[in-house]
Amino acid sequence: MRSRVLASIGVLAVSAAALTGCSTPSDSGSVTLEFWSWAPDTQKIVDIWNEEHPEIQVNYTDAGGGDESAAKILTASRAGNAPDLAAVEYTTLPSLIVADVPLDLTDAVADVQDAYTEGTWQQTTFDGSVFGLPQDVGPMSLIYRADKLAEFGIPAPTTWAEFREAAAAVRSADPNAYIASIPPGELGFYAGVATQAGSEWWSVSGSEWTVGIADEASLEVADFFDQMAKDDLILTDPLLTPEYNKMLNEGTILSWPSALWAPGVIESVAPDTAGSWEMSPLPQWTPGEKAAAYQGGSAVIVTKESEHADAAIEFAKWLNASDEGSELVLSEQNAYPAAIAGQEAAAENEPPTLMPQQADFYEVAAEISAETIPVTWGPNVSFAKTTFTDQLSKAIENGTPWRDAFIATQDAVVKDMKTTGFELTNG
Amino acid sequence: MTATATRPAPPQSVRAPRTGAVKTPLWSRLVPTLVLLIGAVYCLIPVAWVFVATTKSREELFTTFTFAPGSGLFENLGALFAYGNGQFGLWAANSLFYAGLGALLSTFVSAMAGYALAKYEFRGRSLIFYSILAGVLIPGITLAVPQYLLLSQIGLAGTPLSVLLPCIISPFGIYLSRVYALSAVPQETIEAARIDGASEWRIFQSIAVPLLLPGMVTVFLLQFIGIWNNFLLPYIMLSDQDNYPLTVGLYTLLAKGSGSPALYSLAIAGAAVSIIPLVALVLFLQRYWRLDLISGGLKG
Amino acid sequence: MTTTNSRTGSTTATAVMVRQRRSRPRLAPYLFAAPAIVLYIVFMLIPVGYAIWLSLRAYRLEGGGMLGRRVDVFVGLENYFSVLSDPELIASFGRLAIYGIIAVPLTLGLSLLFALLLDVPAVRAKRFSRTAIFVPYAVPGVVAALLWGFMYLPSTSPFSYITESMGLGGIPFLENPGLFGSLANIAIWGGVGFNMIIIFTSLRGIPAELYESARLDGANEIQIALRVKVPLVMPAVILTTVFSLIGTLQLYGEPMTLKPMTSAISQSWAPLMTIYRDAFITDNLPAAAASSTILALGTVLVSVIVLRLANRKTMEAVK
Repeated sequence: MRSRVLASIGVLAVSAAALTGCSTPSDSGSVTLEFWSWAPDTQKIVDIWNEEHPEIQVNYTDAGGGDESAAKILTASRAGNAPDLAAVEYTTLPSLIVADVPLDLTDAVADVQDAYTEGTWQQTTFDGSVFGLPQDVGPMSLIYRADKLAEFGIPAPTTWAEFREAAAAVRSADPNAYIASIPPGELGFYAGVATQAGSEWWSVSGSEWTVGIADEASLEVADFFDQMAKDDLILTDPLLTPEYNKMLNEGTILSWPSALWAPGVIESVAPDTAGSWEMSPLPQWTPGEKAAAYQGGSAVIVTKESEHADAAIEFAKWLNASDEGSELVLSEQNAYPAAIAGQEAAAENEPPTLMPQQADFYEVAAEISAETIPVTWGPNVSFAKTTFTDQLSKAIENGTPWRDAFIATQDAVVKDMKTTGFELTNG
Repeated sequence: MTATATRPAPPQSVRAPRTGAVKTPLWSRLVPTLVLLIGAVYCLIPVAWVFVATTKSREELFTTFTFAPGSGLFENLGALFAYGNGQFGLWAANSLFYAGLGALLSTFVSAMAGYALAKYEFRGRSLIFYSILAGVLIPGITLAVPQYLLLSQIGLAGTPLSVLLPCIISPFGIYLSRVYALSAVPQETIEAARIDGASEWRIFQSIAVPLLLPGMVTVFLLQFIGIWNNFLLPYIMLSDQDNYPLTVGLYTLLAKGSGSPALYSLAIAGAAVSIIPLVALVLFLQRYWRLDLISGGLKG
Repeated sequence: MTTTNSRTGSTTATAVMVRQRRSRPRLAPYLFAAPAIVLYIVFMLIPVGYAIWLSLRAYRLEGGGMLGRRVDVFVGLENYFSVLSDPELIASFGRLAIYGIIAVPLTLGLSLLFALLLDVPAVRAKRFSRTAIFVPYAVPGVVAALLWGFMYLPSTSPFSYITESMGLGGIPFLENPGLFGSLANIAIWGGVGFNMIIIFTSLRGIPAELYESARLDGANEIQIALRVKVPLVMPAVILTTVFSLIGTLQLYGEPMTLKPMTSAISQSWAPLMTIYRDAFITDNLPAAAASSTILALGTVLVSVIVLRLANRKTMEAVK
């Protein structure tokens, strides 16, 4: 009996050694960096780097995106297994900083600050310290079915009031069609249009936070979309579900107010509609203005645990701030690069394949990008997002005013921050 | 009814055939058959859809009637196996490795423990049995994070072992093995072997294991399916994509950050391919396994 | 929970043998059980203890500045108080009750029905039906997610397609109150096969003579099924009930699956979803640990009560 048991333990031990063995750097003299991201085709970019830099090899892992990926980095970091580098969304960066995950890069990346616009740089700067290098940004914009709107004789909306008129015109032209679906899950969208209206969902002065999810500007935004939904002018169904994708393909969802990364998303689910879309700046609250906020986008952080922080910073700079890297972000990931060089390279690029006919796509994009308002995200955006989504869903289902959902979210977010120990100006 | 009547039949007993005993009218043959077939259709329709959807190209997936076959089968399969330099194949191999080896080890650990709990009187037996049984009541989510933090302390988190090891302990498997050992291994045979001077290990190995085999097949199958379908544990434990099992791999195809859409066609093709080995296993093993032992413990 | 029975009934013979034995092996049972015990301690007991320890702690801010740094501190039972006073958690137990009232009886009723039908001698295509009904058990949750999303969403649902072409309009699978039925349906779909096999194999264990005597008394197949078979498979039915109840309390996969497709499912729809949110989205492990502890205790309580009641009932039925 013993020999067999011992034998099987031996097998386990050997396989354990073999299995754990593969994660350590192989050849001496070179370092291997672990890099977590989720953006499509990141592997191709990493391969190019690895080719050119035998001494710093990068091992890329698709860790999945969204809110769970931030939690995964947190858990890994708590357990001492964090990767050297990770892509994080701007919304979750503050919560990672509070959890002490990212390395303070202020001095190390000072030399590449010029590669970015001031607004972009602000996205990763907190309290004077820089915690990540911006990779891609999402200046908000509108993409719409130019062919359908032309068919119905509806001009592309430049203000939200026109957006409402267009929505009504779409409903009467085709009873199955809607101008857009704006669901409760899109905290990023609502925060963006509220910012556009002059609200700040989180702001900080000194060490005191102010939460503005229910400030006057935000509540007016809430009322506006509330009324549109109650008048059956927009849908509130989740995005990119099979249902939504079907409507995109059928041409019964005619626009998507979101950000510059939208064309790639639509193209992958409705490739046959390519050529009938166009992009324009996001509708404005005040006619003639050019305000837009950021929605989505990500930065790369170097973790405190990284044993090769210098190498990691070098890779992050190449990936996000260099001409070569930021152009690859554009061409391989189909994202709108955060670095100026990448954005300038974009201007010379062909427009996205979703709208090959719109020759001025990247010119418009550059105009929007130049004016984008930086957004400060708070330390508990994930919490705010689940609360906001649940509250707004409930309001939609019960037919109660949306502003109440904004107020309830505000209260919950304030309470959560107070419990954690933040100083707040809110009562 | 006496207690003996409800005891699970030993594996080798086959019920006397009763066909021809009573002349059955046509309706009593048709109605039950029909009801069962409706049940079968109900269970198969969604599964059938996965296979139909695999044949659809990206746009057909959302535009054509749900059950209308499409024209993208080979394109989808090609894209699936080409994804991430053939990562899908790796994930499938990993799933087989975790589920196969995990279920095998789990079966042996469970069989030994169940046999000990059923066939020996020893101090602490009830304590051990009930403690382990209570494990059935703890949701996996509760355990996943502490397990991760603890495995990290000993440097195993992130390795395939961190997925394999926690799967080996199966309270349900131990419970089943104990119940089965109670009815399938006669105490007299064990005593007779002892009198002949056989060692305890030898008795287990050459008398108990053959008798326990149908029960062990059942435990193996349940564990295999359980580990194959497990998502949360590998999701938390692993960070290297090359170690992912299918469930986590498919999940990364669907869960992308803002700006990257779910890869529905790939995920559906992957889902179809990943169901096949499981269904094959169920078909192959179903003649051997004996789920009646699950309820055996409740009988007098 | 089951020893009372097994000890009193069938093991009398064993007990006699044990008493007759002169020397009994002392070390062997421990060695046999050792791997299981060690793994149990390492992968279940210690993590549970760790979770309980975590539930008494909380992350709090330390140091000044705009963001500060969080550290974890001991807070006693604070997490338990805040969890228990959360109206959403209580509401989620209410939703669970509605769901359970639909899902559990239907799963068990259908399992029992299919098992009894499989046991009818004259039925055709048994092997096919049995296998087909069992197949969903082998479908991973991630796949079931996709699958039912397509089945339920109005524009891709084949069922809504049929009702619409009949002029009845689509079926609101993903809106309240239909949502409860849709969720229960996924659980039933996934669970009927497994439970059916348990009951069916238990039916196969019943000696045929019992039916013969009933037939001689003039009973027809339906009467035999109801009066002879059902009482005899009661233990199996009770066990599957307990499993279904535990499954209901730990409901998580199905609503999580459909959540991205509908606004009607909140992130705190079911207790386990709240736990998931706390542990994996909002990074509040201590709260997740506290809710888990409460849920686990509740599960133990429910199982014990059901088994106690059931045992009494079956004992009566058997007598």
